[in-house]
Amino acid sequence: MIAPNLAILARGVCKEFGSGPQRTPVLQGAGLGIARGEVVFLVGPSGSGKTTLLSILGCILTPDGGSVQVLNQEVAQLRPAELAAFRQRHLGYVFQTFNLFPTLSALDNVALAATMRGVALPTARAQAERLLEQVGLSRQGRLRPGQLSTGGCQRVAVARGLVNDPAILFADEPTASLDAANGQAVMELLTRLVKAHGVTLVVVTHDSRILSFANRILHLEHGRLIRATQPGEAAQRATLESVA
Amino acid sequence: MWILAIKAMLADRAKLATSLFGVAFAVVLVNLQGGLLLGLIEKASLLVDYGQADIWVGRRYTNNVDVGSWIPERWIQRIRKVDGVERAEPYLVSYSEARLANGSFEPVIVVGSEPASLLGNAWSMAQGDARAVRHPDGILVDSCDAEKLGHCRVGDTLEINGRRAKVVGLTDGIVGFSTNPYVFTTLERARRQYVTGLTPEYCSFFLVKARPGTNPRALAARIQREVPHLDVYDRQTYSRMCMEYWLTRTGIGMSFGLATFLGLLVGLAVVGQTLYASVTERVKEFATLKALGAADQCVGQFVLAQALGNAGLGSALGLAISLAIGWLVNSPRAPINWTWWIGALSVLLTTGVCLLAAWLPYVRIRRLDPATVLRG
Repeated sequence: MIAPNLAILARGVCKEFGSGPQRTPVLQGAGLGIARGEVVFLVGPSGSGKTTLLSILGCILTPDGGSVQVLNQEVAQLRPAELAAFRQRHLGYVFQTFNLFPTLSALDNVALAATMRGVALPTARAQAERLLEQVGLSRQGRLRPGQLSTGGCQRVAVARGLVNDPAILFADEPTASLDAANGQAVMELLTRLVKAHGVTLVVVTHDSRILSFANRILHLEHGRLIRATQPGEAAQRATLESVA
Repeated sequence: MWILAIKAMLADRAKLATSLFGVAFAVVLVNLQGGLLLGLIEKASLLVDYGQADIWVGRRYTNNVDVGSWIPERWIQRIRKVDGVERAEPYLVSYSEARLANGSFEPVIVVGSEPASLLGNAWSMAQGDARAVRHPDGILVDSCDAEKLGHCRVGDTLEINGRRAKVVGLTDGIVGFSTNPYVFTTLERARRQYVTGLTPEYCSFFLVKARPGTNPRALAARIQREVPHLDVYDRQTYSRMCMEYWLTRTGIGMSFGLATFLGLLVGLAVVGQTLYASVTERVKEFATLKALGAADQCVGQFVLAQALGNAGLGSALGLAISLAIGWLVNSPRAPINWTWWIGALSVLLTTGVCLLAAWLPYVRIRRLDPATVLRG
């Protein structure tokens, strides 16, 4: 049992990829706790295990060892189908490359995520329209991803991530494909929406320009969480590193 | 979910066009080849199917109506007394030869029926009246065969078996499986004038009309007991036998069947390949659905909807093209008998292939790790 205000509690999480001599440990006993409503960024160099940890916390990947509790649920106890249902009910995702259906309109991309839960299409569309309005795309709902800017696509992905009213939203490098201005705009939007919807936000990022949006920043190296910092601290450190 | 799957399918115009082309091609092929085979082979039993007789009685092993053998006409009395027989008439079908004005000749099949009842006479006329065969030297030939018979017209005179024959009417689409024209006339005239080497009191078949309410199969069995040395068949059975004769002895069934099968394989391969590629190209989209929490069943519905959408649209297009081509090229010489069951078979086959083509990549999608979407 975890504290009721904790959205995520992970202890000693291990994950390896490959087999035999090619076996590579990616996570080596990572542990963390994330409170409900918190905005947490996972940062670290390439290969430090950020995305793998996000996948495990997001119940997309199962750990080889350790314990992960998400919303009081020990995820290792869930079978794949139950895990999928859990993701659908409680979790939302924003992917680095958006992963939108290129042949569906922005509106239908968002509505599709809702119909997967069994919501009737007209209701799903109404929900999608409301969310597209919130992300500033009320007039572009009929456009397909190919007809939208990258910033527009990311906004659609945000709307899709929130359409099922998730308790936790996971975002993997949400600003990696965007320029500075768009990156800031998307992060402002994301943090505003997660606060408005009471959603916990977990972000993996390399982008030091957006660290100010976090409540807390968790630093990973070699598959371990090495420290937690506040945004100001991290920004200062990033500046010092770039000067050095 | 179903609607969105179909919308996603329709929006990808290039892939949609390729897969619809494949499905429609396969459907057209089955319908045209099948319809053509059926239309051609049904010509083998035209006289039986449309001759108005309920039961056909002929010499043993007479399994082709166009190649009759001789039976004594007096045996008909034994048939007429069988309970359930309303009428039994002698009928003659025999090869002969028409000599044309330019000196050439054309083998013909002379069909002679009783002038009183005209049972077995021509049933569809392009010009004139079928009863005109009762006129002196009167014969009916088909309008499609007129060219073979020196472009003859109503009122023209031909020479059949060295005897005068006057064209008193043109039939409409009564063209047999063999290339020889049918020449309809009366039994006596056929026997005495137009067929060589036939003893006057012989004929080829006895045509039987059953009393209303009589079961033809049961009546055929009763007649068979009276004339055990002859073959007795109800219309349906004899019709099927005549078709089987040409199907099995000429190899037309095999050649058409093989051509249809090979063409179908090509069409279905196009369908299968296109759909398979279209699903595998979208693996990342399906992985995204799985990452978002879609159950395998949900992803399966998405794939299934698109496969059925392709099959349905392609089949509708294929059936429409088949109808249009059939309407354009159908003729008595090469009839396309487009039946509902050939249409249904073509749709079933292509739908089955579409489902299979979608199911194979779906197996891969089921095993797909949703984490792949986060690995870039």
